[in-house]
Amino acid sequence: MKNKLKYLIGISLSRKIKTKWFVGAQVAFLILLIGIINIDIIISAVGGDFSGKTNIYIVDDTNLVQSSLSQVIDMNINLLSDKEENKYNYIVDKNLQTAKEKINEDGGIIIYIKDSKDNIIEADIISKKALSTYDFSILSTSINSVKMSLAVNELGLTDDELNKISSEVKITSLTLDEDSTYSTEDGTDMLMNSIFPIIILPLFMLSLYLVQMIGAEVNDEKSTKAMEVIISNVSPKVHFFAKVVAGNIFVIGQSLLLAIYVALGLLIRNIFGSGSTSLSSLMSSITEIISKSSLQDKLIYLIPLMIVLIILTFLAYSLVAGILSSMTTNTEDFQQVQVPIVMVSVIGYYLALTAGMFEGSIIVKILSYVPFISASLSPSLLVLGQIGVIDVLMSIIILLVTNYILIKYGLKIYKVGILNYSSSELWKKMLKALKE
Amino acid sequence: MLKVENITKYYGDFKAVDNLSFEVKPGEIFALLGVNGAGKTTTFRMIMGLLECNKGSITLDGKPIDYSVTDDIGFLTEERSLLTKLTVKDQALYYGTLKGMNKKEILKRLDELLERFEVSEYKNRKIKELSKGNQQKIQFIMAIINKPRLLILDEPFSGLDPFNVELFKKEILELSKSGSMIIFSSHRMEHVELFCKKIVILLKGQAVIEGYIKDIKRDYRKMNIFIKGDVDQDELLRIGGVLDVIEKSDEYEVKIESEQVIEYVFDYIKTKKNITKFMVEEASLNEIFVSKVGEAYEK
Repeated sequence: MKNKLKYLIGISLSRKIKTKWFVGAQVAFLILLIGIINIDIIISAVGGDFSGKTNIYIVDDTNLVQSSLSQVIDMNINLLSDKEENKYNYIVDKNLQTAKEKINEDGGIIIYIKDSKDNIIEADIISKKALSTYDFSILSTSINSVKMSLAVNELGLTDDELNKISSEVKITSLTLDEDSTYSTEDGTDMLMNSIFPIIILPLFMLSLYLVQMIGAEVNDEKSTKAMEVIISNVSPKVHFFAKVVAGNIFVIGQSLLLAIYVALGLLIRNIFGSGSTSLSSLMSSITEIISKSSLQDKLIYLIPLMIVLIILTFLAYSLVAGILSSMTTNTEDFQQVQVPIVMVSVIGYYLALTAGMFEGSIIVKILSYVPFISASLSPSLLVLGQIGVIDVLMSIIILLVTNYILIKYGLKIYKVGILNYSSSELWKKMLKALKE
Repeated sequence: MLKVENITKYYGDFKAVDNLSFEVKPGEIFALLGVNGAGKTTTFRMIMGLLECNKGSITLDGKPIDYSVTDDIGFLTEERSLLTKLTVKDQALYYGTLKGMNKKEILKRLDELLERFEVSEYKNRKIKELSKGNQQKIQFIMAIINKPRLLILDEPFSGLDPFNVELFKKEILELSKSGSMIIFSSHRMEHVELFCKKIVILLKGQAVIEGYIKDIKRDYRKMNIFIKGDVDQDELLRIGGVLDVIEKSDEYEVKIESEQVIEYVFDYIKTKKNITKFMVEEASLNEIFVSKVGEAYEK
């Protein structure tokens, strides 16, 4: 019987893999993922300017600021966000009229610095179209900083006095709750932005795919009546486990393939990328943020725990899909029955997406223990510092118990349902099967 | 030997099979007959272990049928039980492996059977691309791929032309000669009479007739006489023991209640001229079936 189980798993997998559709889907995934990761390089390669650098024409009638203004603008950009790339090219222009002609062509910005008796300098910021708030804010702050610097020079302060005024205030961040894992808003955003596409989105898609795949396969065997021949040779228990195991091997394999495609995409980006957001800089940003947070020391056991949670969640989805598919007679019926599972998965997806909005919510924390949702919600809450390792362990234990119950009672339903060809009184039949 | 003893099956309050018993010995071909819903498929499913009996027992060579013996059983379901997206070869590998055979054995046996059923060219074709008749052949091949000790055939001849019925019949007889026990169901009594010796006729889950066909026919007693010539229908009907006279295109079919009546009819014929045919036949299985099932229906 062990050989038959192995064979059924094998044939179930080969029926999924040895198809033109599977190969086509893999090619599509590969192209899509590499394309998405390298979208800016592709756009640049076909003639676009994805870097989108804006020309800043500095026309300085005072001859006081033209050398320092560009440095101050760069400094302010870095102060605002260490992720932000410099988006400006600086061009010193003597003639306002020629500068205006140039911005008409390239959409640049003119900073026109003039003398002022009362305020040392005055400035006009000229652009063809209305400026964004960001651009205006950066440029006006920078002009004011330059003006302050000029004023300080005029007052004849010493270097020490000047350093005291201009140096940054030393601020130390202290957290009383040691379990809390996030250190800075930027870091959290960055981690959330990484975790969401890397873990939650594929998890959501693959869990739905897993449910559909098992349902379609069982119903294909039922609707062709091949099930009678199969079940006359292997027990419903062997058949059930074969479908569940094959489905899980398939989605785990598909996850690994997707990871390989992403790695390929990043590798291509590293080779052909401009260097601005190349693989090494992206990885170093993530590493830096993790090292700033208290997650770093825990990653060694958090990652395996998360993998266990995800695998157990896949298992739970496949068990439910197997049980429900045994009670339906065709794929159309199964599509109707699977709606509640899809809804639960969607809830988990949206909760994970919006977890940051419900900081401290007890309900969200409790929901992170709920099977089917926990694998989506826990990574988000963990990164946000709203749950700790103990909570993840709790979720794993609850999932283990759920899977045990699903196997124990689900098998009873499966045994009855697998040879049932009537879709009427579905729930009544399920209850009756449970009582047997 | 397959032994079915007093099996009963309920679906809720509905009794689908009621206290049914029969035996099939090695080399025997046994027919389970009955109208739709009589309990044939339920009986087959119980033999295959797909359904549990509420009462009674089913044994093969003295042991209950479980997954340890199903490798020796072949099963052809009433409806197509093929995965139509697979090729014939893949389907054979699938079902053959489930019967505990290895790949080499399966492919060798498949080639042999495809050739015997004259469908070798379809080996690598998807089942859904084949005609209904060829799908039925493939389904039959799948049922016997493991040279089963017990072969269960639920309506094996449906959708087959007379030529293919002959092919199936030949194969079934060969399996029977090699010692296989064969049970099959059919609505077509002429098929049953072709190669079957033992039958059970089911009605509403109960056996209304059971035993060897020759004994059933003998016990039925009623016979038919076919007469061609100048006879009077009313005169024939007036003979004692004549049940009915049916006028056919160029002859009369006279139904009589027992063998003794033949003499009375023959005495009448001797008084007539231009008699070119006087033939006595046992009642057909179809007639017995209609008569017995009809009586039971009325009850």
